[in-house]
Amino acid sequence: MIEVRNLTKRFGAKLAVNDLSFDVQPGVVTGFLGPNGAGKTTTLRLLLGLAHPDHGTATINGHRYHDLRSPMREVGAVLDARAYHPGRRARDHLLVLAAAGRIPRRRVDEVLALVGLEDVANRRAGTFSLGMAQRLGIAAALLGDPPVLLFDEPVNGLDPEGIIWARTLMQALAAQGRTVFVSSHLMSEMALTASHVIVIGRGRLIKDSSVDDLVKASSGKVVRLRAPRADALGSRLQAAGATVEANADGSLLVHGLEAATVGDIAFQAGVAVHELSPLEASLEEAFMELTREDVEFHARAASPVGAASPAGAARP
Amino acid sequence: MTATAPRPAPPSPVPTSSWGPVAGPVPTLADTIRAEWAKLRTLRSAPVTLAVAALLVVGLSALISFAVAQNHQRAGADALAHPLHIIQAGWELGLLAFMVLGVLVVSNEYSSGLISATLMSTPKRARVLAAKVIVFTLTAFVAGEVMSFADFFIGHAIIAAYPFPDPWVTDPNVVRSVVGWGIVATLGGLIGLGAGTLLRHTAGAIASCVGFIFILPGVLSALPSSWSNPIEEYWPTNAGARLTELTQGPHTLTAWWGAGDLLAFVVVLLGVAGTLLVRRDS
Repeated sequence: MIEVRNLTKRFGAKLAVNDLSFDVQPGVVTGFLGPNGAGKTTTLRLLLGLAHPDHGTATINGHRYHDLRSPMREVGAVLDARAYHPGRRARDHLLVLAAAGRIPRRRVDEVLALVGLEDVANRRAGTFSLGMAQRLGIAAALLGDPPVLLFDEPVNGLDPEGIIWARTLMQALAAQGRTVFVSSHLMSEMALTASHVIVIGRGRLIKDSSVDDLVKASSGKVVRLRAPRADALGSRLQAAGATVEANADGSLLVHGLEAATVGDIAFQAGVAVHELSPLEASLEEAFMELTREDVEFHARAASPVGAASPAGAARP
Repeated sequence: MTATAPRPAPPSPVPTSSWGPVAGPVPTLADTIRAEWAKLRTLRSAPVTLAVAALLVVGLSALISFAVAQNHQRAGADALAHPLHIIQAGWELGLLAFMVLGVLVVSNEYSSGLISATLMSTPKRARVLAAKVIVFTLTAFVAGEVMSFADFFIGHAIIAAYPFPDPWVTDPNVVRSVVGWGIVATLGGLIGLGAGTLLRHTAGAIASCVGFIFILPGVLSALPSSWSNPIEEYWPTNAGARLTELTQGPHTLTAWWGAGDLLAFVVVLLGVAGTLLVRRDS
């Protein structure tokens, strides 16, 4: 269980983390989402005692990281995949950390096998690809078999097989009852991995909800309507409180009404309906919708993402 | 959503170790020391740096002893002015190698990113620095003494081949001087370790050390002598050198008070470095 309360961190004039509060529950994978520069890594570094907050607290199972008696047995974290000396052999790197955490040497071979690095354990870690580096980082995090795990962008640099492996691992760890907190800017990845998400933008909490609720909140209120005499329906739908948008293909996008209501209105107007489909937003679209105001570096490109998609235009 | 790996199945991702989490033994300073010792042993930089130091202290000194003795014999001199000083001539540069090793012990971690793993495994940062200091001190002291005695006996053997009176261990203060270089090298290395902790950058820390030992004392001697004399006298590295000199000469500080001056500086430097290590974000 991770508890963050009013966490605030300032770097010079920039408020990297701004009065952030949330909990991360055990037993599920919790995604930590936000655009680049939103403050995800800073929050994780504050949780891990690598940086000191200006205000507020970040605790793990009720303790600040600094006060954990046996930190490697309580929390495992992969922040920067290359947090090792390139000249040191992979096994030696793990042996060093095991010594620091008073963890038996045999556990080093266990975690090497767990991440599939046993064949390259005697290679200098500097020769590793980014994917192997990620695996070595995960091995280090699992050394103490901890109940709380933090991963910062764990699938960066992994090949497709590695991504599936990492996702399976995180879900298995959560299924064992551990707290698994995974930061990412890849919504599509989190949609597959996490069942709960915490979304931040510019250091502030934007959303703390289950993935299902997040998707639901952003969708369901958009209906695509295809009818031969659609134009006759527009004013009636607007009278019922909907916003209507005409698509290039002649269909209508109806915002603000349930599909059933739209169907009833069409029936009352005596208009034949050829298609009536509620549109679901993807997590990606829900995220874009949430963070549109908070993206640190706006692209100058013309079409704003989401505006072209029906769900993106839907206001919950 | 099922997610089974397509090809050669990676090992079962579920940790299966039998020993339970959280309840395990609590790591202590001894464990941190073990970890730091393992770090030193498993990188090439430590043996390479110490080999360079040995080459300078033993090899360069032997070369200089030979060259000077040869020259003096040819010139028809009947004595060497400072035979022990000639035998130990390589130590000036050897000291620098010890400082570099001291810097690397800390700056290595910042340049590679290992520091975050170190501080996550041991969030008590003062303990991390203490373990580094202990491991480095023991390593540098043993290596320094071995080099210093090897240098003395080899240099002595070279000079003994020439018709000059040469120093021997039974002469006053010779043993202190030989032992002294090992101590000064260790303390000099700790200055490097402190500088590495403060600056967190290899090149910057080494440059600062060079400036501190070789350049600043020279610059300060340009000040009016009422200022420069006490500064020169108490400048840590100058004062520490008293330990290696056979006679006190015109100096105020005795050999051991001089060593104490250097030690006090090292303690203060490491205290400041430790305080900053604890307070700063890593």
